[in-house]
Amino acid sequence: MRPASFGYHKATDLAHALALLAEFGDDGRPLAGGQSLVPMMNLRLARPAHLVDINALPLTAIERRGDVLHVGALVRHHRYLSDPLIAAHFPAFLEAVHWIGHPTIRNHGSIGGSISHADPTAELPAICLLYDATIIASSTGGDRRIAARDFFLGAYVTALQPGEMVTAVEFPIPPAKSTGAFIELGERRGDFAIASVGVALQWSGRQITGAAVVCCGARLVPIRASEVENLLIGRQLDAPDAAAIGRRFANTIEPVSDHSGSSAYRKHLIGELTRRTIERACQQALETA
Amino acid sequence: MTEITLAVNGTAKTVDVEPRRLLADVLRNDFNLSGVHIGCAHGACGCCTVQIDGVPRLSCLTFAVQCENVEITTVESMGGPDATHILQQAFKSEHGLQCGYCTPGFIMTLAPYVDTMLAQRRMPSDEEIREAMSGNICRCTGYHGIVSAVRKAIGDQLGSEAAA
Repeated sequence: MRPASFGYHKATDLAHALALLAEFGDDGRPLAGGQSLVPMMNLRLARPAHLVDINALPLTAIERRGDVLHVGALVRHHRYLSDPLIAAHFPAFLEAVHWIGHPTIRNHGSIGGSISHADPTAELPAICLLYDATIIASSTGGDRRIAARDFFLGAYVTALQPGEMVTAVEFPIPPAKSTGAFIELGERRGDFAIASVGVALQWSGRQITGAAVVCCGARLVPIRASEVENLLIGRQLDAPDAAAIGRRFANTIEPVSDHSGSSAYRKHLIGELTRRTIERACQQALETA
Repeated sequence: MTEITLAVNGTAKTVDVEPRRLLADVLRNDFNLSGVHIGCAHGACGCCTVQIDGVPRLSCLTFAVQCENVEITTVESMGGPDATHILQQAFKSEHGLQCGYCTPGFIMTLAPYVDTMLAQRRMPSDEEIREAMSGNICRCTGYHGIVSAVRKAIGDQLGSEAAA
């Protein structure tokens, strides 16, 4: 299919983009890489009356600003693969990028677009939640700082208001040595995930001192596994008892059944992915220790 | 309607388009480049892959009005009607195609990949090749012939360089 008619507006700078978005309100959408929005438009699931092309805006930095990693909204996914700050501080982020779509999508898709689209099993929303990111939403009224846990409200629904757009995401840099892993299962490589699990751990000596676990596929938004995070703290890297933790987490969720799997299948799958991801993260810590 | 000038395969042409028109459709209908194949028209199959400034891009997820001041290349720029490009020749000899519908998309995705590997002077693993082409769907070959074609295109050129 082909998209419905719309007005096309090329923004020359951020103030121009925000003025256009303020003018169009609910009828306007920013256009970045177009890897999520344009499929929705082609399928007529989205029919914005106006597109504001923001590709010329300079929102392209990945840089350390004090205690946070600042990622501009227009950073394309492939850049994380060669970024030393991502590799050093956010190993689960780095692993997750390999699961985003495929190389052609990673060349063009942006973090602002991915999190604004908020596909239930997309990798970057999960990574934002895993690392307690803050999302900067800008409008002509100023900037709003929204915690990732308050940003993703449902499938394709976020806390963004009409006239707002994501301009940056900030990731707090973990204070201690960190390890992490991200594992996903889909029907084929490059396809949408059925479920995925991300783990970020801090450790000292051989003991886990901080833990975060995120899961896609359990609900229509990514969720944190808070209960089992607490269980991981204090355990040894070489004996995290990940299988029991996976089972315990699986028992706390009630996934929906759909075309790609029954509720029971997803529950089992998420338990297993949790085990594998914890073990992978611990293994990587032991190798670098 | 919006008047735009597109540079396609080295030639600039001005066309009048609605903003909603996909680059894939404009290339096929206004530039008569029927090598741009449209499979799914929502970014799932990779058939319509072209290159923008040398980088593979899905022309069904791109509006033509976005494409001023860039170089667009399609499969027609590769090896002409005789398909003489080394990767096209390798697709032929390694049975990398049967019906051929997906082939232009594979060629446009993989030609820059072959160039990157040659610049690094290394033969990628089959797994790396499969990752590189994971955005393209082929329903005929089962992909083995395509992986072989990529290996052959890289191997032959690395070999001829070594022999020279």
